[in-house]
Formats: sequence, C-alpha cells, structure tokens
Amino acid sequence: MKKIDQVYEILIELEEKEKRGISAIEISKVLGTDRANISRYLNKLYKDQKVEKINGRPVLYKAIKSESIYKRTVENNNSLDKIIGAQLSLRTPIQQAKAAILYPPNGLHTLILGETGVGKSMFAELMYQFAKEAKVIPEDAPFIQFNCADYAENPQLIISQIFGVKKGAYTGADRDKEGLLKKADSGILFLDEVHRLSPQGQEMLFTYIDKGFFRPLGETEKVIYVNVRIIAATTEDPQSYLLKTFTRRIPMTIVLPSLKDKGMMERYSLIESFIKEESKRIGKSIYINKNSLISLLLYDCPNNIGQLKSDIQLACAKAFVNYKSKQEEYILITQADLPQHVKRGLMKIKQNREDIERIFEGKGDILRFYYKDDKGYEINYQYNDNEGFYDIIEKKLEDLKNTGTKDEEINHIINLAIESHFQKYIKNLSLNIKKKEISEIVNMEILQVVEEILSFASKRLKKEYDEKIYFGLALHLHGCIERLKNGNKIYHPKLNMIRVEYPDEFLVAMEIAKIIDNKFNIETPLDEIGYLAMFLASNTLDSEDEEKDKVGILVIMHGKSTASSMVEVANTLVGVQHAKALDMPLNMKPQVMYEIVKQHVREMDRGKGIILMVDMGSLTNFGDMIYEETGIIVKTIDMVSTPMVIDACRKAVLGRELDEIYTSCREMNFYNKPIERKSDLNKKNIIITACFTGEGASERLKRIIQEKLHEKNSIEIIPLNILDRREFLCKINQYKEKHKILAIVSTIDIHLDGIQFISATEVLNGEGIKKIMDIVKEEEMYLNVGKSLKEHMKYIDGGKIVDDLRYTIDDIQVKLNIQVVDEVKIGIILHLSFLIDKLCGGGKEVNFHNLEEYKDQYSRELIIIKDCLRPLERNYNIEIGENELAYICKMFLLNREDM
Amino acid sequence: MKKIMLVCSAGMSTSLMVEKMKEAAQNRNIEVEIFAVPEAEIKNHNDVNVILLGPQVRFLLNKLKTMMEPRGIPVAVIDSIKYGTMNGDAVLEDALRLID
Repeated sequence: MKKIDQVYEILIELEEKEKRGISAIEISKVLGTDRANISRYLNKLYKDQKVEKINGRPVLYKAIKSESIYKRTVENNNSLDKIIGAQLSLRTPIQQAKAAILYPPNGLHTLILGETGVGKSMFAELMYQFAKEAKVIPEDAPFIQFNCADYAENPQLIISQIFGVKKGAYTGADRDKEGLLKKADSGILFLDEVHRLSPQGQEMLFTYIDKGFFRPLGETEKVIYVNVRIIAATTEDPQSYLLKTFTRRIPMTIVLPSLKDKGMMERYSLIESFIKEESKRIGKSIYINKNSLISLLLYDCPNNIGQLKSDIQLACAKAFVNYKSKQEEYILITQADLPQHVKRGLMKIKQNREDIERIFEGKGDILRFYYKDDKGYEINYQYNDNEGFYDIIEKKLEDLKNTGTKDEEINHIINLAIESHFQKYIKNLSLNIKKKEISEIVNMEILQVVEEILSFASKRLKKEYDEKIYFGLALHLHGCIERLKNGNKIYHPKLNMIRVEYPDEFLVAMEIAKIIDNKFNIETPLDEIGYLAMFLASNTLDSEDEEKDKVGILVIMHGKSTASSMVEVANTLVGVQHAKALDMPLNMKPQVMYEIVKQHVREMDRGKGIILMVDMGSLTNFGDMIYEETGIIVKTIDMVSTPMVIDACRKAVLGRELDEIYTSCREMNFYNKPIERKSDLNKKNIIITACFTGEGASERLKRIIQEKLHEKNSIEIIPLNILDRREFLCKINQYKEKHKILAIVSTIDIHLDGIQFISATEVLNGEGIKKIMDIVKEEEMYLNVGKSLKEHMKYIDGGKIVDDLRYTIDDIQVKLNIQVVDEVKIGIILHLSFLIDKLCGGGKEVNFHNLEEYKDQYSRELIIIKDCLRPLERNYNIEIGENELAYICKMFLLNREDM
Repeated sequence: MKKIMLVCSAGMSTSLMVEKMKEAAQNRNIEVEIFAVPEAEIKNHNDVNVILLGPQVRFLLNKLKTMMEPRGIPVAVIDSIKYGTMNGDAVLEDALRLID
C-alpha cells in the first residue's frame, strides 16, 4: 500500500473514532512518520479532493465521504429549502448552511452576518432543524440560544453563562455552575450579537472552536470536552476590525441579504406568508386592497423582515379592530390601517411599476389571504411593453409631487391613468374589412364616389377619415340616391343648426354634392347637404366625443359651500374640472332648487346621463323627476361623501358608463337600500338600427339583418334616427319600457349599458350577423329553459325566475369580478330555480360541509353574493340560508374563468 | 344493469333530471339504473358506468376525469341546453353513447 493511501485510511479511522477533524500530528503519531511528510500527503489528498481542510490551529482534515447523507435530506423537503427565497436571495446562504451542518464528522462552526431583522435567529434555528432532519444530530439534541447583548455591561457574567463557573471564581460564585456550552452538548449553541462578547470571552470561544474543549471560569486544571456546533450571529459590518477575528477563526461565514436586496417577488411571498400567519391567528381570511399591498411591497424597511412582519401584524391588528368594533363584515386592510412610513411606499411606484404590474396582473382590487390556501397567487413573469404609458405616469407623478399632493391622493390619480391607458388599448382594436365585401351591398360606383368625396374633403378640411365614416357614408349615399331616384323628399330637421355649427364642413359638402350630382345625374337637395356635412364633421364629433361623451357628475348639498368644496377637492385630485357643484342654502325652496338643477342637468348631459350626488331630503327625489320631465337619464346617490365624489368623478372622466359609476358609488355607500329592477319578462325582443336619418343606412341594416334572421320573426327591427342624441336616448328609454333591446346596430358608435352595440361595419363583414345570431339564440335558449321550468316549478313562475336569475347572476359576476361560461350559468339558474321553489314550499336547506370554515375563508365573497340575492329573497319572500349561500358561492368561485 | 350517476352541488336540480331520464328509459324499454348524488358522495359510488355532471359543477370535471377515466368510467358535463330544458331523453341518449 502506498503511503498516501495509508494516510487516507488512518485519517478515516481517526475521524470515525474522534468524530471531528484530524490534524497531521495525530496521523504522524499513529504512523510514526514525520509530520511534515504527512502534511504533504494530506495536501496532495486535498488537491485530489479526497479530503477537506478546516483552517485553524492546527489545520484539521476530514475525508470526503459519499454524498449519501447529504442527498438523504436535500432531496426530501427540508426545513432550509422551505424558507421563502430559498431559490432566490437565500440560495447561497442555504447551500452554505447545509454544507456547514453536513460537513463530516461534526459540521462547521458558523458565523451568520446580516442587518437587524434579516432573520438570523430564524436561520440558525432552521439550521438546527435541518441538522436533525439530516440526522447529523440526534432528534433530542438541544438548541440553546443566548444573546450576548443581554449582559453586555457585565462581561464576566456572559462568560460564566456560556462557559460555566467554578465555585469561588469570583465573589458570589458560591457553587459550581454549568455553562450553556455544556448544556448544548451534542446540539447547537446559538450566540446572537456575538460581537458583544468581551475579548476574554472571545478567546475562550475560539479555543473551544479550535480545540474542542474549554475551561469554565475559575477552572485551572481540568478542561471540558463537548460536541457542540456553534452558530454565532452579528449585525456588525463584515469589514469591521472586530469581525476580522471572527471571520478568521470561525470556519464558515454566511451572509444573509437584507430586505432591499431581495426581489419584489420574494418580498411579496414574505408579505403573503405574514398575512397568512395572521389569518391563521384569527382563523379567517384577511383581505387587503391593492394599494395597501403595493405600499407594503415598496416602503423603506430599514429593519428588514422583522420590521416588515411587525408592520404587517400592526396593520392586521388594526383591520381586525375595525372589523370587530365597527362591525365590518370582513377583515380588510386598507391604507388607513398602515403605519405612516408604510403608506409612503406608494410614492415609489414609479421606480417599480413593472414589477408591481407583473405581480398584480389579473388580480382584482382586493386580494384575499387565507392560511389554508397553500399556494399563493401565481405570478406571471411576462413583461409588458408599456414604455410611453409609463412616461406619462411618471410625469404625472412628478407633477403631483411638486404640487405637494399627498401619497394617497396621488395613488388615486395614478390608478386613473392606468385605467385610461387600458381603455385606449381596447379602443385601438382595429376593424378590417375589405372593399369587396361591402361592394356586395353597395355598388362599386358609389364606393368610388365615396372615396373621391372623402379624399377631397380630407384635403379641404385637413383631417383624416376612418373606415367607419367611409362605410357609413357609403351606406348613407346608397339610400339617399335610391330615395331621390324614387322621387322621395329628404328632410333635415337640424339643417340650420348644422350650417351654423359646421360652416366649413357645410361648404365642402356643397361641393361634394356637385360631384354626386354629376355622377348620378340627380340633384342633391340642401337637406341632404346637411347630412353630408354631418358626416364630414363626424370625426370631429368623435374626437370631441372623447371630451364630451362622459357621464355628468352633479353634486348638490345643503349648505352654503359644502358641495362646492367637495367638488373642488374631487376635481383637483382627478385633475379634470369634470364634476359640477350646486350649493343649496337652507332657506332656498326645493322647487326653486329643482328648476336650477334641471337646468344644469340639461346643460351637462352629453347623452350619457347624469349622476346626481346629494346629501339628503328632497334632493334625493330630483333625479327621477328630472328623468320624467326631460328624458335624460339621471341617477341619484344620496348620503354622499368626498371619496365617493372622487371615485365617481374619476370613473366618469374615464368614460365609464352611468350604471357602472352608479353601482360602484352605491357599493361605497353603506346605508343604501337596493333598488327594484323592472322585469324584462313578457317584453318583446327588438333590435334597433340607427343612422343619422333613420332612413338610409338604418333601413338598409334592418333589411340585411332581417334577411339573415328570416325565420326568427319574433324579433322586430326598428330603425331610428340619431340626429339628436338626447332624443335618440329618450326613444331608447321609451322602447325599453315594453321591449328588451337585444342590440343596437349603427353607423355611429352608441354604447349604452346593458345593450350590445354592433357597428354597421361588423354587420357588413358578417361578424355582426354572427353576434346577433348568438344573442338571439341565447335569448331563445333562456326562453326555452323558462318554459321547461314552468312545468316543473310548483310554487314559482319558471319564466319569471329565469329572467330574475339572469340578472342576479350578472350582478354577482360584476361584483365579484369573475366570469362564468354560459353553460355554467344555466346550471346555476337551474340550481337556484329549484332552490327557490323548494324554499317557497317551506323546504329545508342542505348542510354544507365545513360551513364555518368556508365562512371564515370567503367572508367577503359570501357577503357580496348575499347582497346580490337580496332582491330575490324579497320578491319571493324567502330566506336563503348560510349553507345554501356557501353552495352558490362555491359554484361561482370554482367555475370562474380566468379573464 | 348499467348505472348512470348524476352529480350536482346540493342535489337540487338533478333529482328531477333523474326522474326525466328514468321516464325516458322506460319509454325506450331500457333497463338502466339512474341516480343523483351531491358532490361530497361521489367517492361512495365506484361501480357506475358513466358519470354526468350538472353544468354548475363543471369545475369537478378535470378532477373526476383523472380519477375515473383510468377505471374506464367516462365523465362528462351534461349539455346545458338539454339540462336547462330538462330533456331527459336527450341526456339519456348522450349517457348511453358515452357508455358504449
């Protein structure tokens, strides 16, 4: 056997016996060879990676064994790998920790460095857990913690604590006392704040680390051998002089990263786990709004994870107190619950917007955390290319900050900008239609003329015309020429208005009329020129539409300046002077006020309706009265607060529909009672086609649709003119009374809530027809379901319940911000119909498994659904119990489609 | 005898469907056992030939498929229109086709 192999064997033998690293001298004694020679062999073995070296005096060597021990634990789920960030910022520290623990035979003493609150104690404890899991220390091995700062002013005391003391070592040491190092034998001793150890104490510690034994204080003769792994920790700067000694003498140094060095995802995971911990304490889901979560993700947290955790605990506690004391229905963390320094986090959104966007992608405004949900939210790692958009936001932020706006308010505005961005994005979806397709309906000659007309007008008026105008005008002209050839008159009731309002367009239209006259050998009447002018102006109309066509917000309050100051705040924050205020002095008679309000509503309405935001009393009735009188859709919110005005204003500026704004305001308003809905039952289904004249394109569209729908005669198609938006909306409302409007088809965009809009272009390219067919089919299906239910329901009307439930289900979908497919919708309708029928007959509810737990977990969702079901409960005079509610909730949540 | 099991969330609407399907089976002179269970009781029935889900418990589809299909038990969601109109005959037809 070669000498080198002998050395290797002896090393393994001794190592096995001593359970520690072996020095060259020890081997030289056994082999009777010179130490220097042994050292040379050991170095060779080290180079061959057969042994490992532990620096110290003397240098110790260990044989590198098979990886079996290591694998055993690493492959199974072990404590260290479960730490948040194990694959991210803690990857290296964890590898080091494992190596330190598994290092044969007795592991390596370890020094953990890191700022306050990075989790050094926790890390040490997990190393201990890991050591047990890896079976390198026994299951009952002690883990003893000692904070050297606790007795810092009395160095002797620290030493006696750690190393023990011999009777008489100092005054008061009246008996032998065992130290922690002895108590920790076979386990781990964790010394926190180890830099607070006196030089004497340090030296004693290093002696133990180097030699494996120590002397208790006052002991001069015998030494104590123990097998303890030391894990020391300190917040000292690794570069400091003090630490140099430590890092030199302690073989393994692990640096834990501070919170700011961790990625956003990791921080999110931490926050998630801390909120879940609190959720476990309370036993219920904890909800948190998006802005609060963003604040938590971004605020400066100098004391790291420890601080993050305690700040979260504080927020949870506050939210919990609100929940209890104000009898809120579920635990919700809002900005108000966050400590001031946390709120400030929101200010940093601009530097971190990409990460934030990624984290919140596809999540609602309120997030839910429950301790039993093991998997958090899946985070999409895709980047969005939104450069221009961000620049806008950034600028806006900067401006706001310069004007001294508060964080919370800035946040409102940022949300606004983000929302409007996406609105724009949706609008950008372009229509593609080929000339060939439209030429099947309108002849080629007309198309050519339209092209000619538009390029002419485009040059003259210096503006671009899009496809919509192109097709709209083509359809219009087609109808117009037909009419004129048949000798029918064309009449334009607003001719003079057009002349005054669009003089340029009118002039161009006159020239265009000449082109048309020549081409088709007709004489275009002045009224028709009025229509042409409208077409030419309509792009301006559209772009103005962006400005104009918004829901009006009118705030009316009792008192001299309440309304004005509320509106001032709202408008300033939203950054647009959109809301209007009317103050109602207490001595003013309601009738007088009513006239003023009516006048304002008239002036403000852009065809999208008005939201009246009022405080109380007679003001709450104005809305309905004005609607009756003027036909302008007015909805009233009472008991209004400033945040509500801001919210409404914000949404209105974004171009949100009346109903949506109204609903969201009402949600904010705690005291509101739900309004009654008029049933659509027994209403006739109609489709409305609309164009400027109500005769050209709309008639044409009507015919096209009718042809396609020939067998579905039950649907009437009604062409309307849209010269005046207000009149048009008025008519729509009249139709709504006795009809269900399935869709509006028009050459101009008309988006009304609850009614699908289909553009003429879509109809021409076939898409629109398909849409209409789908709507008709859906209606028919529900009708059939209703008919079938009629036979099977004992106590309720099958047709009516289907109608009611469709509305309820849509309501729930909107409020929960989820979507279920039609198929599931029918299933739910059936379920609810039978449920209601049963309850009407006095049936009992079916028990829901683990109801209490489900209630804790989905408190918010259950309340939302309960609210949506309330009209049903009232109408059918039933009460839907908690068990049934849970079933319904589950049906919605588990069947949700990812949007 | 062939067994058809229907699943819904609280046994609310499927019981009627079962009746309708039984009727249809009788009219066709087919011997078949048809019954409905709520979601929680699925596991007590391992000896069925086909499992049909009410559209409202569509979320169970994937789970049940991976559980049952290896055992040769087909799982499907009942066509919502047939379900909505309580068309027992058509649903029975679909069920029988799945068994074959």
